[in-house]
Amino acid sequence: MEFKLEAHRIVSISLGKIYNSRVQRGGIKLHKNLLVSLVLRSARQVYLSDPCPGLYLAGTAGTPMPQPGEPAAQPPAGWGEAPPPPARAAWPDTEPQPERPAATDAPQAGHPEPAATVTGAGDCLRRREEDTAEAAWGRVVGPRVAAPVGVSDVSPEGPSAGCPPAREGQRGRIPRVDGRCVPQPAEEEPSAPPALCPRKRGAAGAGRGHAGCAAPCSTPLKKPRRDGGEEDGEEEMETGNVANLINIFGSSFSGLLRKSPAGGREEEEGEESGPEAAEPGQICCDKPVLRDINPWSTAIVAF
Amino acid sequence: MKCFSRYLPYIFRPPNTILSSSCYTEADIISTVEFNHTGELLATGDKGGRVVIFQREQESKNQVHRRGEYNVYSTFQSHEPEFDYLKSLEIEEKINKIRWLPQQNAAYFLLSTNDKTVKLWKVSERDKRPEGYNLKDEEGRLRDPATITTLRVPVLRPMDLMVEATPRRVFANAHTYHINSISVNSDYETYMSADDLRINLWNFEITNQSFNIVDIKPANMEELTEVITAAEFHPHHCNTFVYSSSKGTIRLCDMRASALCDRHTKFFEEPEDPSNRSFFSEIISSISDVKFSHSGRYIMTRDYLTVKVWDLNMENRPIETYQVHDYLRSKLCSLYENDCIFDKFECVWNGSDSVIMTGSYNNFFRMFDRNTKRDVTLEASRENSKPRAILKPRKVCVGGKRRKDEISVDSLDFSKKILHTAWHPSENIIAVAATNNLYIFQDKVN
Repeated sequence: MEFKLEAHRIVSISLGKIYNSRVQRGGIKLHKNLLVSLVLRSARQVYLSDPCPGLYLAGTAGTPMPQPGEPAAQPPAGWGEAPPPPARAAWPDTEPQPERPAATDAPQAGHPEPAATVTGAGDCLRRREEDTAEAAWGRVVGPRVAAPVGVSDVSPEGPSAGCPPAREGQRGRIPRVDGRCVPQPAEEEPSAPPALCPRKRGAAGAGRGHAGCAAPCSTPLKKPRRDGGEEDGEEEMETGNVANLINIFGSSFSGLLRKSPAGGREEEEGEESGPEAAEPGQICCDKPVLRDINPWSTAIVAF
Repeated sequence: MKCFSRYLPYIFRPPNTILSSSCYTEADIISTVEFNHTGELLATGDKGGRVVIFQREQESKNQVHRRGEYNVYSTFQSHEPEFDYLKSLEIEEKINKIRWLPQQNAAYFLLSTNDKTVKLWKVSERDKRPEGYNLKDEEGRLRDPATITTLRVPVLRPMDLMVEATPRRVFANAHTYHINSISVNSDYETYMSADDLRINLWNFEITNQSFNIVDIKPANMEELTEVITAAEFHPHHCNTFVYSSSKGTIRLCDMRASALCDRHTKFFEEPEDPSNRSFFSEIISSISDVKFSHSGRYIMTRDYLTVKVWDLNMENRPIETYQVHDYLRSKLCSLYENDCIFDKFECVWNGSDSVIMTGSYNNFFRMFDRNTKRDVTLEASRENSKPRAILKPRKVCVGGKRRKDEISVDSLDFSKKILHTAWHPSENIIAVAATNNLYIFQDKVN
């Protein structure tokens, strides 16, 4: 557990460094950012491989969904976003809400696209790695595409009712300032059960998702969660929040790095999409942890 | 080792520095220090793009007890901040490296580089001035040819010594990434410049093209796993060079093997100690500096916590490893947070390759005697460095009872770091850059 917290903290710090490197004089330093991304990867690996302590607490339906006050710049499939102003504009929104876990509706929508990207990037990044937890991510990432569907069903019920109606068909776009809109990946509807199976396996603590969904999933506790959907939504939001954060960086970098020493951006995105992919595997058991730990919210607020 | 504990310090500050050492501008921070091949000149570069050259004064018979001191010889602005409009990037003027060329005539030549551009500077003295031009009067105004009735031969008359620096070559636009090293080849006709992913070979006479000799940029940048951190030519073999990587490996390449030296001739790597594995293992194994010994038989590498000496004939592990500040190993997380873990320390050999030196925090620097295996920690500070005082060895207490003169790890000042040091090529004179101050210590004459 301590390792998880430590890893958590290190991931937050690393993300902060990557963000700050954008505004450094002299341009982005490839060497330093590469090292930071390696630390990010190590922390992520530890985070995933540390067995879940079983402190899982089922959230209730009454649990308020975290306000999507955080910036949720959602880049389209890649480039051309103008990131920093919206992100900064969102800060005043987030400041009064430090308690809320750093999770928004919006990032879920990020899932389909980064999920897709991540699968490829993840394979690319990890092809030398034997870590089966990471192999599990590949499986997790795919079915995760389904998750936003569940969330989108739920979100109207939640506080995110402020979602502009335009979210249908505006896939890949979110008004960034309020971060409330969820781009609708509703078109993608892989079946829910496979989506959750890997996560549950991960939650079961093995950290190994490579068995098929036939693997005996989980405790009965998980079922109500699944049905509630809301909890999944929260999980998704929490992980997705980080995922979206990565995507913010990705798009930000793309805007900056595209004109700069080429490849720095791709390298960043490749690495950043890694941690994003890392999250879902353990989310269901970490949810209480995540909610209680401010580093995530702190990290998001900082951006 | 006893000579090293008896150093006479005297301090030189680059001009433009505010007197109090606790108050300085960032532009004054020294970013590189280098003796020339005879040791007569010492060049420093700073973050503001300036180069200051010190010259050792000639030893006089009258003051035999006072060895030649270093005085400012020349100061010039080498690089200016630039802006790359195409990429919307500011290019820092900070001087990353200075390398001297061997002296071939009365003038001195050095290479200085920032992140993107290498410049060849000629530093020459002028102590005579021509007088008696026919077409110009004494103030330099042109004379009306109609008024010229006689011709005379201009004569050279003595004048006050003036040292002027002129940029003779500008080698630009060859690096996409940040230049971290330059190295003059032993043929004195070529040199190389290395950035994060590529190494280029230049001829001094040709500025509009260079040869790319190493390229480790992957086709897909997502596969990037390591970058080049330092590179140096062999001191005698003009076909051989080494470059170090962020993964803690060193590659030796032979330019005769192929035009593009992507495939190394030798690969130096020490297997990682699994008991030391942590989140930051990769960062602390990144090599920040690599230097050939003067003999050319060994290379020395500096990573965050150690200095290692490698024999060129043995690739699987270094022959010597010296712990610089192992007490920091338990503090890596804090050092990561405050960015200190990314500090790039340099290392230097002495003239005879028997002693190596590198810097640390709290203005400490360390020397290791390879023969006696003894080491010493010294401090470069104004308080401890009165003229003619002898440097006292320092000790860091790593826990338990702290003795009187020891300093505990938690009291170390991590903002005072010695990244750049230089050793005179033949004598025991060292130059140590501590933020904005330059300390020159020399061996006491018995």
